[in-house]
Amino acid sequence: MSRKALLALVVDDEPQIRRFLRAGFELEEMGVVEAATGAEAIRIATLKPVDLVIVDLGLPDMDGAEIVERLRSWSSVPIIVLSVRSGETEKVRLLELGADDYVVKPFGMAELLARARAALRRQLGAVAGEPVIRVGPLTIDLARRAVTRHGLELQLTVKEFKLLQVLARHAGNVVTHEHLLREVWGPSHAHDSHYLRILVRKIRKKIEEDPAAPRLLRTELGVGYRLLGEQAS
Amino acid sequence: MVHDDLALRGMRPLELRRLDLLRPAVPILQALALAGIITICLAGITSLTQLSHVSTAYLVAVLIAATRWGAVPAVAAALGGMVASAFFFYPPLYDLRVSDPQHLMDLALFVSVAMVTGHLADSARAHMRAAQRREEEVRSLYAFSRRLAVASTVEEILASARDHLSAVLGHPVLLLQARSADGGPSAGAVDTLPHAVRASIARIEAGVLQERAFCVDDATRSTWLVGPVSLPNPGLGIVAVNLGPFLGDDLRRLRPKLDAALADAGATLERLDVARALGEARARSIRETFREALIGSVSHELRTPLAAILGAASVLARAPAVAEDDRLAQLAEIVRGEADRLDSDIQKLLDASRISSDGLRPQSVWTDPADLVDAALEPRGRRPEDRRIEVNLPEELPLVYVDPMLVTQALRQIVDNAAKYSPAGSTIRIGAREAGEHVVVDVRDEGMGVTDEEKERLFERFYRSPRHSAAQPGSGLGLWIAQAFVRAIGGQLTIDSGGRDRGTTVTVRLPAPRLG
Repeated sequence: MSRKALLALVVDDEPQIRRFLRAGFELEEMGVVEAATGAEAIRIATLKPVDLVIVDLGLPDMDGAEIVERLRSWSSVPIIVLSVRSGETEKVRLLELGADDYVVKPFGMAELLARARAALRRQLGAVAGEPVIRVGPLTIDLARRAVTRHGLELQLTVKEFKLLQVLARHAGNVVTHEHLLREVWGPSHAHDSHYLRILVRKIRKKIEEDPAAPRLLRTELGVGYRLLGEQAS
Repeated sequence: MVHDDLALRGMRPLELRRLDLLRPAVPILQALALAGIITICLAGITSLTQLSHVSTAYLVAVLIAATRWGAVPAVAAALGGMVASAFFFYPPLYDLRVSDPQHLMDLALFVSVAMVTGHLADSARAHMRAAQRREEEVRSLYAFSRRLAVASTVEEILASARDHLSAVLGHPVLLLQARSADGGPSAGAVDTLPHAVRASIARIEAGVLQERAFCVDDATRSTWLVGPVSLPNPGLGIVAVNLGPFLGDDLRRLRPKLDAALADAGATLERLDVARALGEARARSIRETFREALIGSVSHELRTPLAAILGAASVLARAPAVAEDDRLAQLAEIVRGEADRLDSDIQKLLDASRISSDGLRPQSVWTDPADLVDAALEPRGRRPEDRRIEVNLPEELPLVYVDPMLVTQALRQIVDNAAKYSPAGSTIRIGAREAGEHVVVDVRDEGMGVTDEEKERLFERFYRSPRHSAAQPGSGLGLWIAQAFVRAIGGQLTIDSGGRDRGTTVTVRLPAPRLG
């Protein structure tokens, strides 16, 4: 991670939640600034150079979607939303609006940090340009269009590589079914999730130790898929 | 009038026929009697003073007869008056001839005036009778609607409709087969009806007869009108009107009146049905809104402190001071574990309440069954009580069309049960296979098993067999929820066991329709 201290904007109307989030980020040597309402969050985001936004969906003054939309209209800052267990359609909607990932309440700090780091890495990578991504035993070379596992190069079809490429670019963060379908098959196939499932199955057979219990290419039921983050166990 | 009709019920046919002839004659005689009374009065007066134009006095009789009894008696009174005047008072006395032309003019004038006023009085009477009848109908309708407003069961509605119809039609009415709350036939005294009527009813129910028709019962010599209460909506009920011994022309005259009254009643009943359905729907939607609001607020209220507890505990676990101290690390782990348990219990309660109030709205998508099993076994770090879990899925399982959240929750519950009721160190085996247009997933444990008696009651809400309750705490909701979820997506959940302590196999059948 970067040497400069990162600044996280934590938005939740419950003070206890803001408190443990602050403690968790400060333990990681990140700065924290808090907001209790959507309006305040947007105000702070415009004034301060925040590197990460953690926003709860149940804010009193603003719909989570609205905050994500407004932030995205002028910033590509990584956004992680805190949501409740049900409501897959809402999660998908927020992801489509530009949120990078979500955690479901109640959650542990470790999970949030892993997803936040993945989003931060992608943000930095987008600036610097990252041709090679390492995920567990996999090495995905985006420039050479090659994937190796434990050093051995895998035989992948064009679509299989394309799917891994999209997932790798978002390594550690979830990618919605619709996004994957658009990227791999084109915009007119945004609802053919059947194809997607079959392709994922094929890929898992090639990259996973136990395809039935995937560790690298995980399913987020009802939402999409997530490739394991870099440097993660 | 109504009471007269009903009183006639008891008479025998022959007597009734004689009465029918006599009936109109009575007012005529009454009118003539009036004329006679006036004659006597006049006789008295003329003995004291001289009267020249006595016939005008008979106008009183004509008017009385017209307003009370109608046109014919009024004519009778007029003629009677004319005859009486000519005979008793106009010379030559006691002789129908009239000598004085003045008196003749007088009589002619009298008769014409009598006819005109008689006619006017008669139509006034007719209007009054009509107004009275309408008032009676309105009063009856008012009473009917008042009874309807307080009626809470179909039986009460029927009773008030029946009384109203009887009042309006002037005949006893029987209402049958109107839809009761559960759709079955309501209490109708079918057995007391004459055979011919029952036959007509049967034909209407069978759909053979679709309009109202007369039928005659020879045993009681009565005519009935049998038919659907509401012609456009035959399912609303069947009405049988006992018209008594009316025959021929009377029936034809009565028919339009009956049809009109029945059409009114049918429309009212229809409105009632609609009103009832609307009322039920509204109540249901109010309940639904309340339930959603309650669940929303309960969920938020309970989950938020849990999120803070779990979050803070997870941060504590990462703090070097705690992570490096085993005892402190264990404590942090306990807080985390118990918060998890609370979360899953809250989720169960919310699921149970959604099921009870039909709040499940499954959103099915094509899902890989392997993903479902995998998600059910999540999170890996938290497998309880050190049971070994073996997953054995074939390579090419077809995709299933289910709501992934519901099925995952159900499978999670099943695996939790398997772990709960089996001894430490035992193995839980999860397998799946394709079976026609289904994928069958089974979870096999080596634990307490299920006896046949227990199996019968296992899916009941809150049921826990004494044997299982003694072994482990629990709410009794788990299997009930799992089964409700599986059923909601069109699947099936079954339990098999070798018996007490011989392990249990829970089988979940998931729909995997072939793509066309």
